[in-house]
Amino acid sequence: MLKALPAARWDYDTAAHLLNRAGFGGPPTVIKKLANLGPDDALSTLLDYEQYADPTPAPDWAKPDPEGVKQLHEAAKNASPDERRKLYQQEMRVQFQRLMDLRGWWLNRMVKGPRPFQEKMVLFWHGHFATSFEKVRSAYYMWRQNELFRRLATGNWQELLTFAGKDPAMLIWLDQAESRRPHANENFAREVMELFSLGIGNYTEKDVTEGARALTGWSLDRLNQEYIYRPFFHDNGAKTFLGLTGNLNGDDVIARIVAQPAAARFITAKLWNYFAGQPPSDELNIVLAAVFRENGNNFKPLLQIMFRSEEFYDPAIIRNQVKSPVQWLVGTARVLECDLPPTQICEGITRRMGQDLFAPPNVKGWDGGISWITTTTLLDRYNTAALLIQGADVPEARLEARQQMQMNPMAASQSPAPGKRVHVGGVNLEKILTPDERTDKNRLVAALQHRLLQSALKDDQARALGGFLGARSKLTDADIRAAIRLVMCTPEYQVT
Amino acid sequence: MASGEWQEPMLAFLVTCHTSLVTPKVMKNEITLQTRRQFLRTTVLGSALSWTVPAFLADTFAALHSEAADSATQIVTGKDATILVVLQMAGGNDGINTVVPYTNDYYRNARPKLGLTAQQVLNLNGEIGFHNALTGFKNLYDAGHLAVVQGVGYPNPNRSHFRSTEIWQTASDPDKVEKYGWLGRYFDNACPGCDPTVGVDIGGQTPQSFFAKTPTGISLANPQSYRFMSPGRFRPGQMNLLEESYEKMNEISNATPDTNSGSSIGALAAGMPQPGGSVLHFIERTALDAQVSSDQIRAIVARVKNQASYPATKLGGDLKLIAQLIAGGLPTRVYYVSQGGYDTHVNQAGTQDRLLKELGDAVNAFVGDLKAQGNLQRVLLMTFSEFGRRVAENANGGTDHGAAAPLFVIGDKVKAGLLGRYPSLAPQDLFEGDIKYTVDFRSVYAGVLESWLKTRSGPILGRQFEPLPLV
Repeated sequence: MLKALPAARWDYDTAAHLLNRAGFGGPPTVIKKLANLGPDDALSTLLDYEQYADPTPAPDWAKPDPEGVKQLHEAAKNASPDERRKLYQQEMRVQFQRLMDLRGWWLNRMVKGPRPFQEKMVLFWHGHFATSFEKVRSAYYMWRQNELFRRLATGNWQELLTFAGKDPAMLIWLDQAESRRPHANENFAREVMELFSLGIGNYTEKDVTEGARALTGWSLDRLNQEYIYRPFFHDNGAKTFLGLTGNLNGDDVIARIVAQPAAARFITAKLWNYFAGQPPSDELNIVLAAVFRENGNNFKPLLQIMFRSEEFYDPAIIRNQVKSPVQWLVGTARVLECDLPPTQICEGITRRMGQDLFAPPNVKGWDGGISWITTTTLLDRYNTAALLIQGADVPEARLEARQQMQMNPMAASQSPAPGKRVHVGGVNLEKILTPDERTDKNRLVAALQHRLLQSALKDDQARALGGFLGARSKLTDADIRAAIRLVMCTPEYQVT
Repeated sequence: MASGEWQEPMLAFLVTCHTSLVTPKVMKNEITLQTRRQFLRTTVLGSALSWTVPAFLADTFAALHSEAADSATQIVTGKDATILVVLQMAGGNDGINTVVPYTNDYYRNARPKLGLTAQQVLNLNGEIGFHNALTGFKNLYDAGHLAVVQGVGYPNPNRSHFRSTEIWQTASDPDKVEKYGWLGRYFDNACPGCDPTVGVDIGGQTPQSFFAKTPTGISLANPQSYRFMSPGRFRPGQMNLLEESYEKMNEISNATPDTNSGSSIGALAAGMPQPGGSVLHFIERTALDAQVSSDQIRAIVARVKNQASYPATKLGGDLKLIAQLIAGGLPTRVYYVSQGGYDTHVNQAGTQDRLLKELGDAVNAFVGDLKAQGNLQRVLLMTFSEFGRRVAENANGGTDHGAAAPLFVIGDKVKAGLLGRYPSLAPQDLFEGDIKYTVDFRSVYAGVLESWLKTRSGPILGRQFEPLPLV
């Protein structure tokens, strides 16, 4: 099990598979480069991402703002209910605006950043510790959690669980911030075991209530916007948690959880499923969990072995995973070598397809797999393809208004005057197709299959595409764009 | 609406964000209401609508109002079959503060902060009353259209949202994992070869209760964009070459191997639908269902008007769409709709008030609409929530996960009133702080299947449960 893939099997197809799964895919030139590197160096290019500086600056609002919190609090204290509501609405506008920025900031980082694998891991952890802005109501906290996942993306399990538990967004999301003796809130204590680390059946209801008692004291300093331990909240009595008795605290709870064999099995199975597209067999997962534990519960050595293993390149694994909406959107921008549309459009695109970043449907995260595909979401993918290929004309004034709004949300409520429009997004055909491919229909069909599917269309599909192009006397750009869309509007394009 | 009203980009996306989320909590209604009409005319593109997106897309993305529809509609077709609407109250609704035993001393002791008094309930029988936000339900109750099934649950209750939801969706025993949903098994058993619209889920995600051996049912969020859009005006029955090519490229092909599933798909993670074939085959089938249902649905929505006004809430909009599809004669037997946000660990009072008001008002409007259409006698609506909540409130003005709870069955022909018996709240009768169930939820399902959908429940539920007389 987990024998290394023989170097002889390393080729364009396996390199493409690695880039699709450990990243968000890419155009033929990038795949070729990886194929030429050989498996070890190709893997290192993705996994050892520390070698590449990531210069992405944080959003300018992404810092704690105790002054602002204090001012808002003071203003609300002396306000009438009506004024208070206005204040609240105003604050929410700012937060929603920032949330939108944050979504664009992250999506663009996935498309263009130098560390696609790191971003793919951040996306994994976001789905795993599924925390939603809807309850957290602070873009700063959501950004902070995102950065935590980035910092510890391939780090240590116990460290990550501890920091994730003490993360402000999580403290709000699962009510730990408010939990205090003598009536501890069980929300975090339950989900940390059920959904984050052990899985159902590996703890008892008693462990939930006892764990909740031990976790009391983990709280949030809402002024300085950071974790704080509140001794007065903490239940100092003896607790018995997963068989250990004593005056346990939150750190003890996490340590005890990670010491369970189930804690390794749970996370290795989930990681394998995320990257391979299907759960590991019991047999395989036992080996994965053993590797993980032998390596001190550190993720990076495990991931290196996973991505190098024969199992990962099994034909039943390749092109058999449904693209998540984010994978679909980011991957499309990468294979078509085009920009994402403005964030306003992007956030709606992934939302409609079922993956609203920073707002997972619940604490279990997205189910993924074929649950991404319904009649509605499939039609959305087919229609959004047209939008991405075509791009949109945006009034310049609107873009400026957005920037203004970040600095002064109230000033921007006047409507911008209609005026000059700028084209954003859309495919540059000359960039992705040679002159030959843009004139010769057969070459065009071949180039599109190679770029978009990395495999061939079925005969019937190729005939239908040929028929569509055949009805044109001379290929126009509009015809070529339509052909790209048709290839994207197939079941085959929805998998990777 | 004048375009000048629609110049505030922030509000647009405030609302689109807000309404898309499952657990809305503190958003003030004012914001929502103010922009609700705009929202109804807006989709994903939100503030981008006034931008130039490809014309054929902007056209349909923006056309969200059905006002232009022909008002002289011929409403009733396909009047023969009964219809079930399943309404999920996701998050675990606090049943005790929904159907409130307000005269009970144990109740008052367990709920010092959250307890409702005689003045705060809509009295039903002198001992029990509805939460006072449920005026809509009280109205239906008084009209003889609403049954409360009390104390619904199952043995060895599970307090995990996800596991308990799964149990409800699959009708499994709590110690067994079933892959298919109870409605999916109904489709498999009773509707082989049915039109894909036999099951319609309103929303993006297929509920687990629809999972079937032969995936059946469609998912519908926004009828106007429920189509393959292409340049040129759409006329039913006419296609341009692009549309024709798209259809050909999405035909189910024998060339797709359906067998690589043997090892790989058999082991899909729990919580995922498990089709009887490969991932690609599943997508092909979904693509075909989308093609088939798209023309039907858009034609109905363009033709049929609602006959009642609905509250401007997500649930109101969803039920409104269902009423339209019913009026239009879609051959659907089961509609599924969900309302989220009931996981009230903290500050329950305000949140539950708002949710129950949304629920009662939306369902009340829905029933009024169906009545005006003349379709009420063929529709039955059933609610469920994965569990009720702990009898004792917690220290945060909320309640933690519990067990049994009441559910509601609504329709023209229901045995209206209080069915079953309210479980005892006496401490010695509780199990780990939770009330014990008095009616197994599968008896409710059996009643719905046998007396409403007219099918044998045993093969669908795995064994025979005593059907609860509901109609």
